[in-house]
This record gives sequence, structure tokens and C-alpha cells, in this order.
Amino acid sequence: MTDLRGSRFLSASAPEVPGAPPLAYRDVDLLGRPERPDRRFSLTVEPEAVVAAIGDERSGIEALGQLALGLRAPTAGSVTVYGLPIAELPYYDLLVFRRRVGYLPAGDGLLQNLSLKDNVALPVRFATDHRLREVESRVSQLIEDFRLRAAAATRPAQASEEDRRRAAAARAVALNPGLVVLELPFDGLTSRVAAELLDRVSRRDDGGRRAILLTSHDLTLSVRNLVTRTVRVVDGAALEETK
Amino acid sequence: MTAAVAAVGRSGARQLSVLGGLARFVVRAVRAAARLTRAGRWVMLRVLINQIRFTALQAIGLVAFLAAILAFLVISQSIRQLGRFGAVNNLGTIMVVAVIRELGPLLTALIVVSRSGTAIAAEMATNRVMGEVTALEAMGIDPYIYLVLPRMLGAIVSVATLMVVFDAVALTSGFVAAATNGMGFQRYASIVLHTLSAKDVWLTLAKGVFFGAAVALFCSYHGLAVKAGPTEIPQAVTRGVVATIVAIFVMSALFVAIAT
Repeated sequence: MTDLRGSRFLSASAPEVPGAPPLAYRDVDLLGRPERPDRRFSLTVEPEAVVAAIGDERSGIEALGQLALGLRAPTAGSVTVYGLPIAELPYYDLLVFRRRVGYLPAGDGLLQNLSLKDNVALPVRFATDHRLREVESRVSQLIEDFRLRAAAATRPAQASEEDRRRAAAARAVALNPGLVVLELPFDGLTSRVAAELLDRVSRRDDGGRRAILLTSHDLTLSVRNLVTRTVRVVDGAALEETK
Repeated sequence: MTAAVAAVGRSGARQLSVLGGLARFVVRAVRAAARLTRAGRWVMLRVLINQIRFTALQAIGLVAFLAAILAFLVISQSIRQLGRFGAVNNLGTIMVVAVIRELGPLLTALIVVSRSGTAIAAEMATNRVMGEVTALEAMGIDPYIYLVLPRMLGAIVSVATLMVVFDAVALTSGFVAAATNGMGFQRYASIVLHTLSAKDVWLTLAKGVFFGAAVALFCSYHGLAVKAGPTEIPQAVTRGVVATIVAIFVMSALFVAIAT
């Protein structure tokens, strides 16, 4: 499989802080309420850990993904990715740095005018300096790994919910990131498919495990078995934590 | 009185803010070209070819039809009117200055705005509303590389090409009009070619570049500026098209001022 780590488009950004956790939230105001300093969110996602943040629509979990990607700056507290306050990076450095973080947004975020295969290929084509042949080899591998061969040529609107989610997950790990953020990734999927997807996303190309933060309203038992740590988010704060 | 001045000031400030935003938009779109990856160039080329197919190839029929009608009308009327004063030799000036130099580029650009400008603005606005722009940024892809740059290059190539098509059809149609009014080909060709100069070719190409860039940039800018939701898409399309039309007329006036 094409090794993407040597690509200058992956490495030409601010260096990470040695020993820093892949993702850390410190006293973050998830619900935009400066008058409630008692309702702040803190969470650390360690290397190779699969952390689930569970909460309802008013808990604030919808903000976690955007904060982790620097798509939104925290109004209070800090969010660091590999030790760097991601929202403070200049725009182009931020774009390059984001290639180290896989992201599956709520709803899937696939581009509607592209086939599922082209959606998967998008980050590899635009965010690496590899040759077209190497890019195609990487994309073919992802299509196989995520069982998308039959639906690869279809557009998102023509594909099933499951295939769309598979494509979005394949796209999230296309650049072989060490950290992946999954926003409500299993809504509408069977527990078998959800567990299969989570297992596939958590495996790195070199055989190691990725650090994963997933947000969800609830978790099925089969998914729960793959999760290292579960945090329940209530009213903007991490209330309880279970191993 | 104070309120009226304040209103004018507010409106002026708003227009300046739009112009500032547009200038930043142009700089970002041009800078994006330097960040294209090898594979990205192939993808952009594909998007570019699609854009040219839609903007230029599919519009050739309409442009040719309108060019033929316009040139036929202008030349027919001119020969009759000029003939009354024995000034048929000025036909070349009317053909070159009015049709080739001014009306051709204007009409071509307006056709492209109405066909492709609306499509570009609506597509960009939909991309924004559907969260696709955010998805691109989250993947570390500059949306200007993927969305704006190929459309800008596509529109430039398309408008310049369509202007050449317009001129070729207008010259041919002008001859048909001249012939039906009793003027031979030799005379028509001699009158028109005597007036046509290399400057007209350069002006046409320059207008193609500037008008094409204006179509793509204004429409992309207003499309990507959508924030609220799907109901804002038609408004963004209207804003983009109106701004482009105004820009094209202003640029046309500037070209006249510079070229003369």
C-alpha cells in the first residue's frame, strides 16, 4: 500500500509537541455560556485509545468534532491536537495540519457531485504529492478494505446509508492519520456494521491502533466492546466516566 | 439631512467591504494555484474540462445564433442608412467598433453570466449550505483549489473562445447581410479588413480574460458567502449575477478609456 507519511504535504506544517496526547480538551465551554464556568468540558484522548463521548442533543457533543479540527475556536478553555492549540494555527498551516486528523462529520459530509470512490480519493489527490498511479493504488486499497467495490461508482444520493458511511469512514482514514474524530458515525447503521466500521477505522496501516474520539447519542453493545473509555456529556460537562 | 448622509455612508462602506472581500477572494484564488498537488492537477484538469464543456461548448449554438442575428441586423440597417449619404465605406467602422469590439464581448459575457454564472453561484451556495466546503477544509483541502480555481480558468478560456466564435459568425453574417443588400464579397472584405487591426484581436482576448474571470469570481464569491441556509441560495445567485453584469459594463467602459 502507498506509504503516505513521507509526503511533504503531510509533514510541512507545525511540528507536534513530543509526548503530547493526540487530543485534549481543557475546560472548554461547549454550549457558549460564559456565565457557567462550572459547566466546562475536559477530556484527553490517549494514543491508541477509543474514547466515546455520549450525550443528547443539548449536551454539547456536536461541538467536539469541529473544535478538534479547528473548524471552530473554543470561547473558553483550550483544545490541543498533538500538543498544539489547533485553532490558533494560521489558515494554511491549519489546512496542512488537519491532514493528520481523520474526520467523519455528522451526516457524512460527502460531496454530492462526486462518486463514492472520488470522495474517498479526494484527500489523497489534493493533500499529498504522490503520483497519480500511487494515489489510485491507495484508493483501490481503501475501496477494498471498506467493502465499497460494488457501490464505488455511485453518487452519495444513489447509495445506501451504509455505503455512504463506509465511504465517509474510508475518506477519514485515507491519509492514514493517527487520530480520527467520528461524529455520530453509527446513526442508522446496524450494530454489526457499526462495530465492523469502528474496528476498521481504528486499525492503522502499520498494524497499530489509532486514537479515536467518537460522539454518539447512544452506543450498542457490540460497539461498546470496542471502546476503551466512555464519557457521558451532560449540559456541557463530562459527568461520569466508565472503563 | 444627517440621516441621509449616514445612509449614503453606510451603503458606501458596505460596497467597499464587498470590494475588499472580493480582492481578498481573488488573491486567495490565485495563491491557491501554487498549492496544487500532482494528482490534484489531474482532478482540476477534469473539473476544468467539464467547466469548459458546459460554459463554452454547450453555449456555442446560442452565441453563434445571437451573433448572426445581431450582425445581420446591424449591417442591413447600416448599409441602407449609410447608402443614403454615400458613406458605405464607414460600414467597416460600424462592424468592427460596434459589433466586434463592443457588442460582441458584452453579449458573449452576458450569455455566459446567464448560463454559467448562475450555475456557478448556485453550486457554490449549495456546497456551502450542504457543509461540503467545511468538509473540504476538514480534509485539509483548500476550497479555493477545488472549487474556485478550475471555474475561474474554465470561465476565462470559455469566454475568450466564445468571443472568437462570436466575431467569426458576426463577420460571416455581416457578409450575408451585405450581399443581400447588393454588396459583393470583395468590397465587404476590403472595407471590414481595412478597419480591423491587431489591436482588436488583443482587445477581444483581454476582454475574454477579464470578463471570464469576473463571471467566475463574482459568482463564486457571492455563492460561497451564503451562511443562513437554502433560502439564501436564490439571493446569492441574484447578487452574483447583478454584480457580474455591473462589473462587465464598468470594465467595458474602462477598456474604451484605455484603448482610445
